[in-house]
Amino acid sequence: MEERPQHRPSRLPDNSALKQQELPAHRLYFTARRVLFVFFTTGIFSLCMGIILILSARSTQEIEINYTRICANCAKLRENASNFDKECTCSIPFNLSGKMMGNIYMYYKLYGFYQNLYRYVRSRSNRQLMGKDIKAVDDCAPFKMSDNKTPIVPCGAIANSMFNDTIILLHNINSSVQIKVPMLKSGLTWWTDKYVKFQNPSSKNLADEFRGTTKPPNWPKPIYDLDKKDPRNNGFLNDDFIVWMRAAAFPTFKKLYGRLNRTHHFIEGLPAGNYSLNITYNFPVTRFHGEKSVVLSTLTWCGGNSLFLGLAYTVTGAITWLASFAMMAIHIMLKNKKMSFFHQ
Amino acid sequence: MTPLMVVLSITAVKDAIDDLKRHQSDDRVNNLPVLLLVNGKMKEDKWMNVQVGDIIKLENNQPVVADILLLSSSEPYSLTYIETADLDGETNLKVKQAISVTSDMEDRLELLSAFNGEVRCEAPNNKLDRFSGILTYKGKNYFLDHDKLLLRGCIIRNTDWCYGLVIYTGPDTKLMQNSGKSTVKRTQIDHLMNVLVLWIFLGLGIICFVLAVGHGIWQNKKGYHFQIFLPWEKYVSSSAVSAILIFWSYFIILNTMVPISLYVSVEIIRLGNSLYINWDRKMFYAPRNTPAQARTTTLNEELGQVKYVFSDKTGTLTQNIMIFNKCSINGKLYGDTYDKDGQRVTVSEKEKVDFSYNKLADPKFSFYDKTLVEAVKKGDHWVHLFFRSLSLCHTVMSEEKVEGMLVYQAQSPDEGALVTAARNFGFVFRSRTSETVIVVEMGKTRVYQLLTILDFNNVRKRMSVIVRTPEDRIMLFCKGADTIICELLHPSCSSLCDVTMEHLDDCASEGLRTLMVAYRELDEAFFQDWSKRHTEACLSLENRESRLSSVYEEVEKDLMLLGVTAIEDKLQDGVPETIIILKKAKIRLWVLTGDKQETAVNIAYSCNLFEDEMDEVFVVEGRDDETIRKELRTARNKMKPESLLDSDPINIYLTTKPELPFEIPEEVANGNYGLIIDGYSLAYALEGNLELELLRTACMCKGVICCRMTPLQKAQVVELMKRYKKVVTLAVGDGANDVSMIKAAHIGVGISGQEGLQAMLNSDFTFSQFQYLQRLLLVHGRWSYNRMCKFLSYFFYKNFTFTLVHFWYAFFNGFSAQTVYETWFITCYNLVYTSLPVLGMSLFDQDVNETWSLLFPELYEPGQHNLYFNKKEFVKCLMHGIYSSFVLFFVPMGTLYNAERNDGKDISDYQSFSLVVQTSLIWVVTIQIALKTTYWTMISHVVIWGSLGFYFCMSFLLYSDGLCLAFPDVFQFLAPEKKE
Repeated sequence: MEERPQHRPSRLPDNSALKQQELPAHRLYFTARRVLFVFFTTGIFSLCMGIILILSARSTQEIEINYTRICANCAKLRENASNFDKECTCSIPFNLSGKMMGNIYMYYKLYGFYQNLYRYVRSRSNRQLMGKDIKAVDDCAPFKMSDNKTPIVPCGAIANSMFNDTIILLHNINSSVQIKVPMLKSGLTWWTDKYVKFQNPSSKNLADEFRGTTKPPNWPKPIYDLDKKDPRNNGFLNDDFIVWMRAAAFPTFKKLYGRLNRTHHFIEGLPAGNYSLNITYNFPVTRFHGEKSVVLSTLTWCGGNSLFLGLAYTVTGAITWLASFAMMAIHIMLKNKKMSFFHQ
Repeated sequence: MTPLMVVLSITAVKDAIDDLKRHQSDDRVNNLPVLLLVNGKMKEDKWMNVQVGDIIKLENNQPVVADILLLSSSEPYSLTYIETADLDGETNLKVKQAISVTSDMEDRLELLSAFNGEVRCEAPNNKLDRFSGILTYKGKNYFLDHDKLLLRGCIIRNTDWCYGLVIYTGPDTKLMQNSGKSTVKRTQIDHLMNVLVLWIFLGLGIICFVLAVGHGIWQNKKGYHFQIFLPWEKYVSSSAVSAILIFWSYFIILNTMVPISLYVSVEIIRLGNSLYINWDRKMFYAPRNTPAQARTTTLNEELGQVKYVFSDKTGTLTQNIMIFNKCSINGKLYGDTYDKDGQRVTVSEKEKVDFSYNKLADPKFSFYDKTLVEAVKKGDHWVHLFFRSLSLCHTVMSEEKVEGMLVYQAQSPDEGALVTAARNFGFVFRSRTSETVIVVEMGKTRVYQLLTILDFNNVRKRMSVIVRTPEDRIMLFCKGADTIICELLHPSCSSLCDVTMEHLDDCASEGLRTLMVAYRELDEAFFQDWSKRHTEACLSLENRESRLSSVYEEVEKDLMLLGVTAIEDKLQDGVPETIIILKKAKIRLWVLTGDKQETAVNIAYSCNLFEDEMDEVFVVEGRDDETIRKELRTARNKMKPESLLDSDPINIYLTTKPELPFEIPEEVANGNYGLIIDGYSLAYALEGNLELELLRTACMCKGVICCRMTPLQKAQVVELMKRYKKVVTLAVGDGANDVSMIKAAHIGVGISGQEGLQAMLNSDFTFSQFQYLQRLLLVHGRWSYNRMCKFLSYFFYKNFTFTLVHFWYAFFNGFSAQTVYETWFITCYNLVYTSLPVLGMSLFDQDVNETWSLLFPELYEPGQHNLYFNKKEFVKCLMHGIYSSFVLFFVPMGTLYNAERNDGKDISDYQSFSLVVQTSLIWVVTIQIALKTTYWTMISHVVIWGSLGFYFCMSFLLYSDGLCLAFPDVFQFLAPEKKE
């Protein structure tokens, strides 16, 4: 090796692990054993989860009463928008063959109602709903202002299309005595919706606060007059309103309408027997070929009676097991081949 | 948009810097000073102002500005010495001589100004060794050849001044004609990427069209009736208008499928992988203090795909240092050393011979056999004659700036080595004039009269000198190839010849370059007679060459054999091993050299390019189209007879006369063959319609040697390969003569060695030893390629998975261009959440470590066939992406559809659905990259799990009520639960 001139610094690169690509590392070795182990355990886990979920979901009870067609005369009335001020009620009797135990939840369910349309989802004013500035209606097209240029409160397409049927569940003890099943209209919303996202303007008198604004065109009454019985359940803090404002992801959806108040007669749930639903039919669905129904349901730890997740787990588990058996077979076959190769 | 801006600005800045640098260096060259003869006075001007017809003055050690006709010089007979390293890579001095009419003008400016000759010459061309023109001066015609022409790029040496007439300037000069086009190099992956992006664009258009049609139908059937709750915009008059608008909405939403950030990421990855090359200690050459350097940072992955390597020989495979290794004098072989038991001594144990008796000895010279020195000291007649002939028979120039410090300028390094050997043994060539040679023989200065030089050429393969010794004897000394000289020997030395031939074969089998040395004493009368005929032949205008050579033959006969010299052209360290490894990796090596055939073949054997076990080595050296075609076809007939049949698929294909560009598939020969072709036949093969024949024959051979190549031919060979084969080529060289080939190949590698910087400056990668090539290709190249392929397939996958979920959702939201994810997630997904893990993988992953990749060169092969990322792989990514997005959409949908929590509150709302899908997506793509990563460093852990963790932190932040309260319109999502 020649002697290097002293004045020239050596250009030898640094001997760092990063620069020499020798960072300490471990490699993943996918040996047949490990892969098979992982597959088998995943399979077992999925199968167990699936079976548990399916069993749980099957333990719930649910009945659904579709009243679109049953209340045909009301539906017909609502087809014509000019009849909006004519009241129409309809009663639907049904029979509960077995009793429904535990907490009962009542939902209304809409079919073919697109709460997820791009323009629909955006047509709301969060600033307004927070009570910060009730005249902030910029995002609310096409329901920003009324014809006389006053801002709509609550503005936007979501608010305007709010579900406004009233549903009352009656228990027919015998042919003459009917008791109203007590329903709680509170605790229906997400906590942050009720306490962060939706706030009334600070004043005590809501009517004053909302002066200079207009109600949405489809609404029969203004926002501060939604619940006549409970003044706290009014304005933006109305539970039904908040529930409606949380837009659904799919065109078929159900929303919580009430919870059974488990007192007196209904302390264990709903006893078997005859019931009827008294519905004030306001919400027009037939015009867009939609349907609506009432759902009564009990729940379990994993929610309602949807079998999908359980089935998905079971199928995944089954496929994983099939795959692992197939791989095991291939592995053993190749191993034997290799062995015989070596023996020759 | 942001990624696009970043891409454009990065590219713009990079290009701007490159352009600026080029501009500056152009400026520097253009403004170099030159002395021009203007109105009878010398005037300094700039290079760029030199014009054809100007007379310029050049001084010692100045570069030649343009191609000029030599008029006169300071040396006797108007000789001018030039160095042509930048042109042909040869470092020796060459002599040019002006014609006598102009040389008489010397440096008399008044004569030069009055010079009104007219030069008619051929059109600018790239042939370095050919020029023909006619000078008409004072009514007479003088023939001009390339001996009178100083080419641009040469450097004037040992000549105080010379005057010349500018013939070609600028791009017309032979240097520029040879320099080849400089094109921006793009990799195959680059092209593929562009094609794929185009495909994706088309696909995007189709998807958007489908969705727009869907929207139109939906609007007609459902949306129209839904207007009670959501009236159409005023400007939407029908569902068709709405559909057109939705087309563009989807175009915007789905644009994440076109990976704009791909280009930035690719640049970063290539930069990182280039830095690894710069940082590699194992490619650092300590004796010259030079680390490897990636000068281009855009070609890395192609290093992992190289199929053909075109290598220069001198200075690339060899060190370009010739060493006098052995000699056989009068039937006795000197050079091997044996210990007492008769065993050969290895180099490390050898003791150098002491040359202290000779004050003029070159201290760098080493020789180990003491018996030769003893023979010299004893005054052995034959040994003395042998070294005397070596010190006389050559064309070396000597320079003695300090008394006793001789520096030789040799035409070829071989000659230099021989003269240096003679010098050390006591026969010191001191200086020469055109008529005398002064030699210091064992301390005594003797002046030999140089009567004639019978110069070397390719056909003769020998050179001779005729001198008159101080004792007034006329001696002819001759050295040349053994095959030729053997024929010319006097019958009396046939027994000596047999012994010598044995020695010669021994030396040749060790890879040494051998020359035979012989002499003849001439009597005065014969010489005078011959001399007359010689002069006649010299002056003849027709058939000068052939007449001269027949005259030469008359005197070069009845020679007395003196001995044989054996010179070692030392290979660089590790060259044979490297070539074996490259061969195992199925990389074909072609040696393209300007050297003569014998030397090239010798080297080919000693560096394992050719093996002794080879079935056959074909030699193509025809002088016309037909012979060459026949030779090529004969070779192919042996290697693969069926390839000549009409039924061969390639022949059938070729008869259809396909339009360019078409591709010739690989053909496999039935054995292990080599091919040698020289530049002269190559000129026919390349310029005629033989190029396909040549390519098909050459590609079947395991090793190919092209010798006597001009720089441009080297490039032409590379271009030929690029034109008809879809393979990655790499050219490696060290001299200016390799520049065009380095530029032409997909990847140019410069060896920073003896021959200046030209090759290095034009190359993409440089280092100082050929053996580093194996590391560059098998380690760095392989990793780069694997990383790039993994990166691309993952990158496309993650973007498809991310984007196509929107497509599935469209069927459930009336094709209203509603996105699945929340805006913040869409913004951050490519830039923040998934960028680092994939970068980390493509910078640090190693599928196998370097030891294994060097131990099993076969691992290199998939890259050559581009197996890891191609259109098929892309389609696989696409399918994988479609499947993932399908699962990612429908499983959450099934789960959340009409679902409720255990407290009865429904969770089938848009926000829950978005969050579930985007969180699942992040998990899925993270697990995917975790499975793809095979080499888990700390950094991989940090970036992969860190990105995942960062997503959750961001989610907590973005969905916190503080932000929601402060900016209710921007941060709409809000975590659902809070302790009451």
